[in-house]
Amino acid sequence: MNELDALRRMRTVLAQEEHPERLAQRIDWQAAAKTALPPSRRGFKIPLMFAAATLAAGALVVYVQSDVVSGRSTAVVPQGNVLLVAATNAEKAPFGKYWHTKTIMGEINAVGPTVANHYKVDSRQGNEAYTDRNGMGVQMFVDFADVPLTAQDRKKWQAAGSPEWVPIPDPIGLGRVLKLDMSARNQSAQGWWMPTGDSFHGLTSTQIADLPTDPKALENVLLGLEGNWRAYSSKAEVEPIRALRGQERVRALSDVVTILLSKAPAPPAVRAAAWRVLAAQPGVQAAGRATDPLGRTGSVISLPLETTVPLGLFTAPQQLGKYHRQLIVNPDTGILLAIVDRVASPPRGRREIGSGDDGRPRVLEAKNMPDRFSRPGDLASYQAFEVAEWTNTPPPN
Amino acid sequence: MAMVSHAGDGLDDLEDAQIVAASLRDPEKFGELFSRHASRLHAYIRRRLGSVLADDLVSETFAIAFRQRERYDGRADFSAWLWGIASNLIAKHHRHETRMYRAFARTGVDPAEDGVAERAGDRAEAAVLGPQLARALASLGTQERNAVLMLAWGELSYTEIATVLDLPLGTVKAKIHRARKKLRKALPLEMSDE
Repeated sequence: MNELDALRRMRTVLAQEEHPERLAQRIDWQAAAKTALPPSRRGFKIPLMFAAATLAAGALVVYVQSDVVSGRSTAVVPQGNVLLVAATNAEKAPFGKYWHTKTIMGEINAVGPTVANHYKVDSRQGNEAYTDRNGMGVQMFVDFADVPLTAQDRKKWQAAGSPEWVPIPDPIGLGRVLKLDMSARNQSAQGWWMPTGDSFHGLTSTQIADLPTDPKALENVLLGLEGNWRAYSSKAEVEPIRALRGQERVRALSDVVTILLSKAPAPPAVRAAAWRVLAAQPGVQAAGRATDPLGRTGSVISLPLETTVPLGLFTAPQQLGKYHRQLIVNPDTGILLAIVDRVASPPRGRREIGSGDDGRPRVLEAKNMPDRFSRPGDLASYQAFEVAEWTNTPPPN
Repeated sequence: MAMVSHAGDGLDDLEDAQIVAASLRDPEKFGELFSRHASRLHAYIRRRLGSVLADDLVSETFAIAFRQRERYDGRADFSAWLWGIASNLIAKHHRHETRMYRAFARTGVDPAEDGVAERAGDRAEAAVLGPQLARALASLGTQERNAVLMLAWGELSYTEIATVLDLPLGTVKAKIHRARKKLRKALPLEMSDE
């Protein structure tokens, strides 16, 4: 058996085709097509197939500043000021034909056996997208190599012989070893322009353009959004955000608000209202100023979150620590620079989470967690928006 | 490409490109293309991203294809054009897909099979090799992963993959070669030596 045969025997349960009529009953693509774009409205020309484009090596390299890593920040500003100033300035921001974003995402993993003898690796990827006001657009994916988090981490990695593959432990205690790819050949990103989808937590571009610009009315619409909003649950339940309580509601609502403030083509007035909705949420606080993962200085808004896993994907807890989320905003422009997740309390102890599909018991243990050597305030993961603006310049073709 | 057609709608004898053209006047006709292509595409996406995302992405793929059907010029196969749109939507979930492979590699539990595992019969072999393959899959770049999985799971030919990804045939072959090399390293020696 060769590797292709082995691959063909993987996930065979998922490979069974369903009858198209059964699919059609469940998948209403026609409704999706209609809500996404009225036929009378036209978008820009989409290059349907485009030759692979290669970004210049290092064009999107992340330079992590020491204070985003340590979490130190200064000069506390009243929360209301920052968010409301951001809202006012977001409203004044120029509108344009295309919403253009460049995003870089990273997750931090500890490599090594002890507090004294370890370094941290930033596991990264990114994308760039243009979306017009009708939801038509193009996007490109960018792969990055995983890199040492700080200059000090780089020295330790180099002292270890600059390995291309570095091992990290299995967080569920089954003894398997996961490896991160730090090979330099992935430093140059590759991708190609292709049409984008048009769904932002279930909202289409045209729906986003029509969202209320009054914060109370906007919050009301967002609370009615249906989806699977739980960090983990034994079955995938679809419910409106308003069915959630407390921190869970803040988490789901802030996920939608931050999409409106980052990747979604929201008009300036809607972005302004989104900032105001955020300002009204319990537990949302200003936390001084800091630099984001791209080295830009902004004001910090802190959100209380216990877990940073994406919502709606998991059936069991994945983390043993507690976390908080920071939004780094430039109040002068009303632009969200980055979403940064930090360790609030490092992972401790162990937690049995039941058997997996293969019947083997799964146990989360602190000693196997990616943030096992982190201290409160340390970086856990981030999304940085290198560009997030309306522009009249069309996407490259 | 696999085809499923329905008798009595008068579309059976038409090529995909003719149906696209007909759907410009009569949008309902586009439904025939869903009947022909959705099952195979759905199974492929489900294998990569799990059941929930598969439904969403098939819906999104056909919605985009429908909205942009005027721009389909018939030079490439309709199915290749459709798979190209789907590939890009899949790439949007690259991070999630990588996370699932890593979780599978770490734990031996495949998150993509969440909820369908009870229906699985003999999973012994998958349980042995799956996590190692998943670890190798997690390490592949977007295009390497696309190319090798279109070959192994999508059952597309090299030429079809080149059309879908709009890459020269030689580039596709090189990407698949590199991906296979990484996957081979993941297998136990006695198997990869065969």
